[in-house]
Amino acid sequence: MKDRDNTGWIFVLPAVLVLGLVGLIPLMTVVNYSFFEIFILDARFWVGFEWYEGIITSGHFWASFGRSALFSMLILTIQIPLGIAIALCIPQRKTWVGISLAVVALPLLVPWNMIPSLWLALMNPDTGILGRVLGGLGWPVDWKLSIPHTWAVVIAMDVWHWTSLVVILCYSALTTIPPSHYQAAAIDGAGPWQVFRHIQLPQLYHVLLMAVLLRFMDSFMIYTEAFPINAGGPDGATMFLAVDLGEEIKAFNYGPSAARSVIYFLIVLTVAYSFSKAQSKLSDRQTS
Amino acid sequence: MRDSARMWRIIKALALTAFVVFVSLPLVQMTMISFVATLAHPDAPLGAFTLRNYSAILDDPNLRSAFANSIAYVLINICVTVPVAIPAAYAFSRLSFVGDKHLFLAFIAFRITPPVVLTLPIFQLFSTLGIVNSVFGIALAHCLFNLPISIWILQGFISAVPKEMDETAFLDGYSRRQFIWKILLPQIAPGIAVTAFFCFMFSWVEVVFARILTTTNGKPISMALNALFGFQTDIGLVMAVTVASMLPGAALLFAMRSHLSRGFKIGRV
Repeated sequence: MKDRDNTGWIFVLPAVLVLGLVGLIPLMTVVNYSFFEIFILDARFWVGFEWYEGIITSGHFWASFGRSALFSMLILTIQIPLGIAIALCIPQRKTWVGISLAVVALPLLVPWNMIPSLWLALMNPDTGILGRVLGGLGWPVDWKLSIPHTWAVVIAMDVWHWTSLVVILCYSALTTIPPSHYQAAAIDGAGPWQVFRHIQLPQLYHVLLMAVLLRFMDSFMIYTEAFPINAGGPDGATMFLAVDLGEEIKAFNYGPSAARSVIYFLIVLTVAYSFSKAQSKLSDRQTS
Repeated sequence: MRDSARMWRIIKALALTAFVVFVSLPLVQMTMISFVATLAHPDAPLGAFTLRNYSAILDDPNLRSAFANSIAYVLINICVTVPVAIPAAYAFSRLSFVGDKHLFLAFIAFRITPPVVLTLPIFQLFSTLGIVNSVFGIALAHCLFNLPISIWILQGFISAVPKEMDETAFLDGYSRRQFIWKILLPQIAPGIAVTAFFCFMFSWVEVVFARILTTTNGKPISMALNALFGFQTDIGLVMAVTVASMLPGAALLFAMRSHLSRGFKIGRV
């Protein structure tokens, strides 16, 4: 039982102040801008919900929304099971664990703007390892013109980049399972699937929830990595939500880009809300 | 029974090997290119093996200062994030206060807000505060995503410390401040290390804030890399800088490997 008193606010105050400065104030500024037509920042005209209407009713926005949603779904269906599987494969013997984890985590350390360059170098048909192997097998990679190929490259790149995070989180949750649980399962004659289903998976729920949240949102709003592969092409097939926003900002359309930002933040809030709902449901179930 | 256990071990080893190969492929490619002369130089013909790309990093003052800037802003970020996150994590773990659930939700919302949404107002705000084009600006902006995730990680570590410890300490006459300093902090020291590592990892590679906040000065490695792309890009040099940029992280990872492999209790509320 936690003591109910408000001294907790003193402890969270520094965090509230920092996030207020770098999060809340900028957010309020964006909300403010989203209702104005702005040529230069000193001269602006109230336009009400005009930008919002324009975005919500445009087919382009919904097309990008659909592409981002599809992309996130694909990323989650690949990365979460793969991350769990690899975490389960990491041996429990001491020396190898550290080294496997360190190697697996390396992609997380590559500067994000270099990730497309690495993959383009890898896919290069003349000099790249993968490009030459695939070309030799008779499957030349055509990421410039073929939509499925571009998607395959972007997805492979994201899987390469971020599965490691899922692995690290899952692995650390798995280590908290006491050995006695496994011994009890062995005595009961449980097979690997039953051990996974009844001992390992329940221990993973909390961490998986966070992993799903982070991976969903970060892939839904993929920006830095997606654009350089094919500049949103072919034919706009990899124009994701955040890429659209980036283009608006580069064009200095303050009002529309602000309205777009607010819409994206509303999506973020919705996702965060369902996350916290799921989290409290999970806690209830585990305490009861 | 024993046969099937052995089979599982082999399958696991193969799967892990396959994944490690997949992870290594782009990195191997990168390392290979970094040792090749990709632009013709008097002393190294095109396509020849060379160490020139690496020595070029040391010779270029822009690249040298980019490394210094990156290290500086990441350290500043950790020094701000961790001390601010520890009391907040303690409060979320141990205390119950009005609005705690909502506040945690708000923090998480800021973590998953894409930086591109806030680039413009953060640039304006930081220009007013005079911290644009300096490492302080980036360090502060990165708190947006590092602080919530740090609170989440630390909260898991603090929740793993048995509550009886608090109670015994209070009975022994410790004040809350003394308890946190003398008992809790040593207990969660590995957690602090893991948190600092995560801050490093997310901050070192971020580019959206780093780009808008450094137009003239204070450029980190990622932006120095961007500047290398041009009409005639020396891709060998680009790859060499990328390899070099990963070395501090790889060293940290190696140092942290026992903490990571021992595992940590995270995500309990």
